[in-house]
Parts: sequence; structure tokens; C-alpha cells
Amino acid sequence: MTINDTVRRLLKEPLVHFLLAGLLVFILLSGRAPDLGERRIVVDERVVAGLVGRFQDSFRRLPTKEETDGLIRDWVQDQVYYREALVLGLDQGDEVVVRRMRRKMEGMAVAEAETQTPSDAELQALIDNDPARYAEDPRISFEQLYLGADSPDTRRTAEQQLVLLRQGKSVPALPIPLPGKFSNASGADIAGQFGDEFTLGLRNVPVGQWSGPIASGLGLHLVRVTERGAAEPPKLSKVRQRVENDWRAAAAAKAQGDAYSRILKGYDVVIELPK
Amino acid sequence: MRKTINLAALLLTTTALVSGCDKLEQAVGGKAEVKNAAYPEQVFWGDTHLHTSNSVDAFGFGTRLGPEEALRFARGEEVEASTGTKAKLARPLDFLVISDHGEGIGATKALYDAPRIAITDPTMLRWYDLMHEGPEGSLKATGEMLAARANNTIPAAFNDPKKAEARIKSLWDDHMDTVERYNEPGKFTAFMGFEYTLMDRGNNMHRNVIFRDGKDRVSSIIPLDPSGELKIDKLWDFMDAYEKGTGGKVLAIPHNSNVSNGLMFMFTDPTGGPMSAEYARRRAAREPIVEITQIKGDSEAHPFMSPNDEFAGYGTSGWDQANLLGNIKTKPGDLPGSYVREALKRGLLIEARTGVNPYKFGVIGSTDSHTSLSTPEENNFFGKHSGVEPSAKRATAGFVPGVNSGRMNWQSLASGYAAVWATSNSREAIFDAMMRKEVYATTGPRMTVRVFGGWDFKAADLNGDWVKAGYARGVPMGGTLKAGGTGAPSFVISALKDPQDANLDRVQVVKGWVDAAGQSHEQVFDVIWSEMDGKRMAAGGKIPAVGDTIDLATATYQNTIGAPTLATVWSDPEFDPKQRAFYYVRVLQIPTPTWMAYDAVKYKLTLPPEIPLKHQERAYTSAIWYNPS
Repeated sequence: MTINDTVRRLLKEPLVHFLLAGLLVFILLSGRAPDLGERRIVVDERVVAGLVGRFQDSFRRLPTKEETDGLIRDWVQDQVYYREALVLGLDQGDEVVVRRMRRKMEGMAVAEAETQTPSDAELQALIDNDPARYAEDPRISFEQLYLGADSPDTRRTAEQQLVLLRQGKSVPALPIPLPGKFSNASGADIAGQFGDEFTLGLRNVPVGQWSGPIASGLGLHLVRVTERGAAEPPKLSKVRQRVENDWRAAAAAKAQGDAYSRILKGYDVVIELPK
Repeated sequence: MRKTINLAALLLTTTALVSGCDKLEQAVGGKAEVKNAAYPEQVFWGDTHLHTSNSVDAFGFGTRLGPEEALRFARGEEVEASTGTKAKLARPLDFLVISDHGEGIGATKALYDAPRIAITDPTMLRWYDLMHEGPEGSLKATGEMLAARANNTIPAAFNDPKKAEARIKSLWDDHMDTVERYNEPGKFTAFMGFEYTLMDRGNNMHRNVIFRDGKDRVSSIIPLDPSGELKIDKLWDFMDAYEKGTGGKVLAIPHNSNVSNGLMFMFTDPTGGPMSAEYARRRAAREPIVEITQIKGDSEAHPFMSPNDEFAGYGTSGWDQANLLGNIKTKPGDLPGSYVREALKRGLLIEARTGVNPYKFGVIGSTDSHTSLSTPEENNFFGKHSGVEPSAKRATAGFVPGVNSGRMNWQSLASGYAAVWATSNSREAIFDAMMRKEVYATTGPRMTVRVFGGWDFKAADLNGDWVKAGYARGVPMGGTLKAGGTGAPSFVISALKDPQDANLDRVQVVKGWVDAAGQSHEQVFDVIWSEMDGKRMAAGGKIPAVGDTIDLATATYQNTIGAPTLATVWSDPEFDPKQRAFYYVRVLQIPTPTWMAYDAVKYKLTLPPEIPLKHQERAYTSAIWYNPS
């Protein structure tokens, strides 16, 4: 039997026709022969465990048999389409795919930051960097008497009433819907109710005696500070929640920037502008 | 090679996500207890109605800020708004409810992020392409989504709750974690909540749902989807089931009755039959407060029902012409069911017939902002949505630029806030104050207002500890006058200006009652005003206007008119013990510039004459009710 005979016989075989035609299709469509691995989709234990795990995360229970079958069917369909699309080059030049991949990379960088637990030293460093931000305002206990809008008349009344108050006598005040007595109030609380000006004014009056008048966003007040706490440096144990939120928000932003510069180092970026 | 290693490192860290969670829970669980006062001494300020990029429409309008940015902003931090400008509140808030639309939560973002090839529905493909075109296309797509919602032509694939369940579960889970991280009892309260966007042919029947509880309980639910519903019962069933299943507590706040075409406060039950006592009881129990003012207009009163109230009709321009989606015009007969004062009157009438008042609710204000930024201040207003964040164009733009909604953006109010008389800044104390209606609304400024109703208050009470007396001998706003009183009821009322805002013009009591013939009535009493013994002495029953110090060239005003505080004890001169009645307080500021006036100065604009540049901002308290024994 000659080689020609063999070729002639083989050319008559339907199986060979099929294989040759298939090869031609692949060459025409993709320009390259795919790896065998890309044409085989294996649903193994690892894949199923992943699908079931994701289902459990979302629904807080195991999927039923039917649901598991559905998950597998979906996954296979995804894989078939996805691989076929890659073979056809559908990922090329698609801006959405590009942006989606970019977002995935950014997301991974942020996820890293979001899951980390900062050490106490790191948090303390944040506090040390901006202690004023985290400092508990010095607490103040005080009494206030509201006299009305600032005017020469009100100032005269204030002077007269201050004398009476210092003699231990009681004097009338205008009825406003704010307490006359505050104990252990924070600067932020006081500022919210009286305005910033009043909070500053309170800092400059002596403890224990009626003073004033001091001004607020409402008008004039006579005040007696009964106790003034010292400004304490912020303690991590007291402000942990806030510092940790700040740390996490900053870490996410930083992680994204860092990840990008790290990856960028592996590339040469050439910008060719027309002259 | 380097790339492979980097990827592997990143993948490893994502698995760390799972183990990191437990630590977070512990940190949250270890929060300090807060002390509660014996009675409410302080008013807490917040917003019960804020949307983030997780809301279907907000994302389409261009909002890219999520819940974390919303919470940081409310807490007083500076954030970068979606359009790139820096945003910061002049004063932080005490509490915040993020109330993203439960319906299709995260759906627009999911559509935007989807691979284009996976979208088969032609309508969704159109929206997808429009959104990817840029901000203008995105606004257009969102306008079309809203119209599709009105016409019931939303593609099934867009909001298929079954398919979306996994997405929603995971989004809601992340959301609850974020809210827990920012909830700091005693300092800042972050509530769990969502908006139930119930609609009937574009008529607004929306409710915000607020939980008293933390993630441990709220994780038993996902936000309820109103698709296909026309009645409120499903929401109430959902609330009943939540409370029964978890031992937690939940309330609902209706809003924008002004664009409900009369459906929000119906005389009848939703089917048009007489309202049953059971229906009335359920409504009153589930919906103890109503949002009376917000960016999409003010729902207190309308000149059609209140022709003798010269201050009725604030913030109604544009909002009284059609329903929410603008697809059905409003008829005069729809108006009574759309405004709060009329609802309070209807409540008395229904109570007379059934024994239960369905509309015995308190009132709060909130923003309904769709920018993640709660900004009801005129000079720091970031608009209804990110398509109308600060710019030279927004004052003359449409409400949704490029979409004919029949409304102009200048008809947006920079309004409002919820004021809560609570015993501490905590979920429990603020929620409980809402349940007992000890709350009030403002259109943005933080005036402090107190009201007590009783039978024996005298002017002299104001010289002593009147707050203590108010609680001991009377009831605060939101309460019902104690039975067994003689004579006419008297009210201790004290209003104080916002320390960083304008003086007060006047304090009014709005009374509603039902006469022997079963007719409802209303009357507005001026009870105290600035210079009432001087140049504003009442002549012929009408008080001279307070004046106007606004300089439009600089968008400024002077506190040289009005008063910083107004307090009085007022007794009803026309009281009839046989007539059921309610009394609420309205406080008016002196005239100040609107946000458009600030924009005109900032961007050097000459605005057309129909755009209002001056207004009188206000506070509305919850009512105090009287029942004949």
C-alpha cells in the first residue's frame, strides 16, 4: 500500500472530513487553535462549594437540590458565553469591559483596607496627628439668665441685675426654651444652643460668681460658671469609634492610590503627542 | 510575573474580609450606655429622609456618594459632592436616617455597572447607553425611568425582586454595617431605615420606614418593595411582622401629601368606603408623624382651604398643579386630602364618627435630598439631586434639567429639618419621642419651640420653672389635654430664634375644631409678635407686617427688626367644651433671602421676576388635642 493509497482512503473517511472542517472553522474564526483546557468546563467540588457559599452569604441558608442545580446551570452558561466571547475577542476595545476591570482592581484594593483592623498604635498616631479634632471639649457647668437682645437698655439692666445677683438676690429672666442650668455640657452642645460666641465668652469668666453680660446669637446673658473641667488630651478608649471610622475612610482612599502606583511601576507609559 | 504576584496578594486579602467581620461586631456591641434626662431638656436636630447612590433615581440623577459619605457629612465632616465641589454643614446634625428607596435598591447602579452584552431588554439598553453618555443623558434616562414607573412600563428585568434578591441582601448587609459604625450614642445617632415608594398612577403615597433597632434585629428583613401595590396594608403587615418576629420597633412617616392628588389623607378608606375604626386605629399606630415640609414643597396649608390665612401657601407654587410624576393634573377637590391642616381636621370628623382619629399625628421636616447631602440652609443648598447641585444655571433650570416635568427647579425649597425633644441623643430616646409626637418641623433654621397645654397655666408661670410646670400640670406638643379640666385650655408657648439665623416675626396658634353640625373649621390666632406694644399694635385685627431688611445686592439681612424670643401664655377665647379640637403653633421668621437670591449674588445673575427672592421661614409644632369627655 502506498502513501497515496492511504491518503485516498483517509480522505473518504467522514470522521476526517469532520476534523478538517472543524480545524478550518477554528483557524478562520480565531486565528489560533484554542488550548484543550479552554474547551473543557469542569464543575468540581471547589466550584460547587463556591456557588453554595455565595448563596449562603446572601440568603443565610443552604440552597435546595433544585436551587443548586440552577446555580450550576447558570455558572456553566456564564462560562460558555464568557470563553466564547474571549475567543471572539469581544473584550477587545469594549470600554465597559475596560472600566469594569479597572473598578474590580480598585475594589480589591479598597476591600483590603476595609477588612484590616488598625492597631492601637496606628489609631493613636492619627490622634497625635490632630489632637484638637478628637479632644473632648472641656466640660462646663453653668447657670445663665437671658436678658434679651443686645441694646444699651439691656446692658444697663444687666449691670443692675448683676449687683443683685452678687448679693444673693433673685432677679427675673426672660422665659426661653433653653435650660437655666447646664451641668457637664460640652462646647459643641453649648454652641449648638447659644452659638459659638457664647461658648468663647464662657471660657473667660471666673468660676463661682455671677458675671457678664456675655453675648450669644440670642442676645445678652448673665452667667455663673460653677465648674470648669480641664481640657484633656483625647483618650483612644473614648474616641475609638470615631478614629476608626476616620482611619478606614482614609485607608480606603490611600489603598486605591497606592495600588495604582504599585501597578503603574510595572509599565512604561509613553505619551506621543503630535508636535 | 510581577502582575501575577500582585493579583494573588489582592485575592488573599479579600478572603480576610470574612474573618474581619467578627471584630467589627464586637466593637459596635461594646458601645457606652448614654444617660437619659428625667424629661427632655434639649432639642435634637436631624433629617429623617435622605437618599444616596443606592436609590434608583438618585444614582441616575448623578449622585455618586454612598451612605458612608452621607453619614460623614451629617456628622459635620467635609466631603466632595458628586459634582466635585467641597461640601460641609455649618453645624453638624444630631441624627440621620438614610432612607433609600426599597424598590429596586441599587438597581440603577447595577444596570450601569453591567456588561452591555448582558442587557437584552431594548428599553434598559437605551437607559444604559444614555447613562454612559454623561450627566445629561443620565438625567434623561432617569426621567424616562420615572415616567415608566408612572405608566407601569418598567421592564420586568430591571426590577425583578426575585432575581435581585441576592444583590439587595448583600447591599443591605453592607449598609447596616456602615450605619452601625457611625451610630455613636450620646453624640450622633444613625438610624436604619428605607423609603417605601408606594404610588397609585403617579400619585404619591410614599412612606419612610424607621427602625428603633440595630443590625441584630433589622437584619431579619430587607427593604420592602411596593411594586404592584396600590394600598398601604402590605407595609403595615410588614411592620407588624417585624415587631412580632424580633421584639423590635418600627414606625412609618408619610411625606409629600402635596403631590398625592388627595390620596394621602382620604376621608374614606382606600377603596372609597367609610373608614373603619380598625383601619383608623392601625394608621394612627403605625404612622405617628408626618413630614410636613421638604424640598418638594410644603404641605402645611393651601390658600384654597385657608383663604383667611395670609401665610398659607408657603412652598406650594408648582406642587399644587399635578401629582408627583406630573401625569395627572390636580383638581380643586383633591387639595383637602393633600394638606396636613385639613388632615388634622378630617381626623376630628372621623374620630367623631368612629371613635378613632386616624390622623392624630405629629409633624417633622426633612430634606428628601437625593445628593447624600442634607442641606436645607438657603446659603448652603445642594439641591434636590445631583443634576441641580450648585451652578449658575440651576436657578432657571427645570426641576429635572432636560426633562419636561412641568416644574422648575426654583420651586424647590431649601427645607427642612426634624426637631425632636428627646431625653438623650440615642436611637431609643429619639424614636420614642417620635412615637409620642414630641417633635416639630422647620423649613431649615433651628428655632427652639416649646408648647405645653393645660387648664390652669397663667402668665405668672413664665416667671418660674415653666418647663417643669409644663410637664407636671400639662402635656407637651403631641399630647392630648388631660380630661376633667374646667374653663378654657391655656398654653405655655416659648419660641427662640436660631442663634445663627434670623429674628422672629410672630408666633401663631392654629386651631381646628368640629361644630355641633359636624362641620370642621379652622382659625389662626396671632398670639405674640415683636413690638406688639409699639409700632405693631394690632389695628382692626390685623398686625402690621414686620418689615424687611433684606439687601438683594449682597443677599444679606439685618436682625434690627423682629425679636430673638417670643413667649406667652395663651388661652383659647372661643373654647367650647363640647367641640373636639386641636391646637398647633406656627412660628414665622422675619423675611430672609431664598437660595435663589444667594445664587443670584454668587453667580451674578439677573433672575426673571417669577422667581421669589424673599420668604419667611417657619416652624410648625405637633398639635395638642382636646377631646370632650
